[in-house]
Amino acid sequence: MNININRLTKIYNNKTVLSIPKLQIEKGALLGLIGPNGAGKSTLAKILGGLEEASSGNILYDEELISTSLLKKITVVAQKPYLLRGTVYYNIAYPLKIRKVEEAEIVIKVDEMLKEMELLEIKNQKAWTLSGGEVQKVALARALIFNPSLLILDEPTANIDPSTILVMEKMIKKINKDKGTTIIIVTHNLQQASRLCDKIAFIYRGEVIELSKREQLLKNPQNILTRDFIKGELLK
Amino acid sequence: MDYIIEGFIEAFNLLISFDIELYRIIILSLVVSFTATIISTIIAVPIGILMGIKEFPLKRVAIRVIYTMMSLPPVIVGLLVFLFISRRGPLGILGIVYTPAAMIVAQTILITPIIIGLVYNATKEKGTDIQALGKTLGASKSQRLVLLVKELRMNIFTGIIAGYGRGISEVGAVMLVGGNIKGHTRVMTTTIAMLQSMGEYSIAIALGIVLLTISFILNSILYYYQQGDLSEY
Ligand SMILES: Nc1ncnc2c1ncn2[C@@H]1O[C@H](COP(=O)(O)OP(=O)(O)OP(=O)(O)O)[C@@H](O)[C@H]1O
Ligand SMILES: [Mg+2]
Repeated sequence: MNININRLTKIYNNKTVLSIPKLQIEKGALLGLIGPNGAGKSTLAKILGGLEEASSGNILYDEELISTSLLKKITVVAQKPYLLRGTVYYNIAYPLKIRKVEEAEIVIKVDEMLKEMELLEIKNQKAWTLSGGEVQKVALARALIFNPSLLILDEPTANIDPSTILVMEKMIKKINKDKGTTIIIVTHNLQQASRLCDKIAFIYRGEVIELSKREQLLKNPQNILTRDFIKGELLK
Repeated sequence: MDYIIEGFIEAFNLLISFDIELYRIIILSLVVSFTATIISTIIAVPIGILMGIKEFPLKRVAIRVIYTMMSLPPVIVGLLVFLFISRRGPLGILGIVYTPAAMIVAQTILITPIIIGLVYNATKEKGTDIQALGKTLGASKSQRLVLLVKELRMNIFTGIIAGYGRGISEVGAVMLVGGNIKGHTRVMTTTIAMLQSMGEYSIAIALGIVLLTISFILNSILYYYQQGDLSEY
C-alpha cells in the first residue's frame, strides 16, 4: 500500500503534537520511526491506522482517503495491546471469524501461526494470565493472521527477551517479503531498527526531522538533532 | 430469649413443611424482582453502553443524575409511582395500583439506574480500547457492538445481579404501590415489616432466613466475578 501524507497536523489541547507537511511511504516499505518519548510517534501510528483523526491535512492510501473497507486492510498493534477475554486461540482467530472465514480453515491457519510464533504451548491459556511479552506476541500474531496491506507496529518488542525478539522480527520480515506488506514500526531499539528497516524516520517534537536509508540515518545522520539522539545526547 | 429460639425452630418447621402461604410470598418476591430486573436490563444495558462510548450535550449532568438515582430512597420511588397510578392519578386508568404490576414498575425504576451506572462505568473504562481494537482488526460497526457487549459481559452481569439484589431487598416501594395485600401483593420484605409490628416472629424469621440466603448467594456470585475481574488486567 502506497501512503501519501499531506500537511498533516494533530493538536491536543492547543498543543501541536504532530506536524508533517509531506511524507511518502511506498508500497512494500519497512519504515522505522524513532524519536524521544512524547515526540508523537504513537500519535502518528494511530492516525495512520485510522484510529485517531488528524486535526488538519490528509492521508492517501493508494490514492484513497480512509474508509470502512480500507480499515479492513490496515492494522495497528498498540503499544499496550488489548487482548480479548478468552484464550490465545480465540484472540488470534477473531479477525478471521469476523471475516467469515470457514471454521476448518481458521483452525489450520491459527495453528500454523501459533507454531511459527512459538505460541503453541499457551494456545488454550486465558489472555489475562499471560506474561507481558506473551501478550505482545499474541497481539502481533493476531495482526499478522489476516494479511493486512499496511501493518503498523508501536513498540512491538518492548517487553521481549532477546531470542523472542528474533522470532518476532523474523515474522515481521517474512510478511514484508512474502506478501509485500507495507510496515511501519515504532521502536526505541536502534539495533532493531538497523536489523529490520529499509528506511528510518527520526521524529522530534511532532516533526519528521530526517528520513533516509537506514545506514545513512544511523551512521551518518545529516541533522544535528538526529546525531545527538543516536549518540544518546539529545536533550528533550 | 426463649421467643427467639422458638421463633427459629418454628421458622425451620415452616420452611421444611413447605407452608403454602410462606412459599407463595417467597415466589411472588422472586417473580416481581426477576421481572423488574429483566425489564431494567433491556432498558439499561444499551443506555449504559451508549453513555460510555458516545459524547452528547449535557452528558456530565446525565451521569450525575444516574449516580444520584442509583441510591434513590425506595419510599420516594414508591410514593411517586403511587401518585401516578392511584385512581386519581394521571395513569389511574391503568388500574394497576395495589397489583404486582405496580410493584414491578416501582422496582424497575429503582433497578434501572443501578445497571446503567455500573455498565456505564465499565464501558467508560474499557470501551475505547475495545472499540479501537475492533476497528483495527476489521470489525464492522455492528460487529464492534457485539464485541463490546461480549467483552463487558462480566460487568453487565454484575450490574444485573446488583440490581436484582436491590429489588428483592427493598420494602418501601413495594409497600406503597402494592399495599401488602394477603395472597396478592405480599412479598418477603413487606411481610417481615408487618409481622414484626404484630409480634409474630416465626414467619418473619423464616422469611428473613430466605432473604439472607438469597442475598448471600447473590453476593457470592458478585464476589466471584469481581475477583475474576481483578485478576484480569
Ligand atoms: N489523548 C491525548 N490528549 C492530550 N495529549 C495527548 C494525547 N495523546 C497524546 N498526547 C500528547 O501528545 C504527545 C505525543 O504523544 P505520543 O504518544 O505520540 O508520543 P510517543 O512519541 O509515542 O512517545 P513514547 O515514546 O513515550 O511512546 C505527548 O506530549 C502526549 O502527552
Ligand atoms: Mg508511544
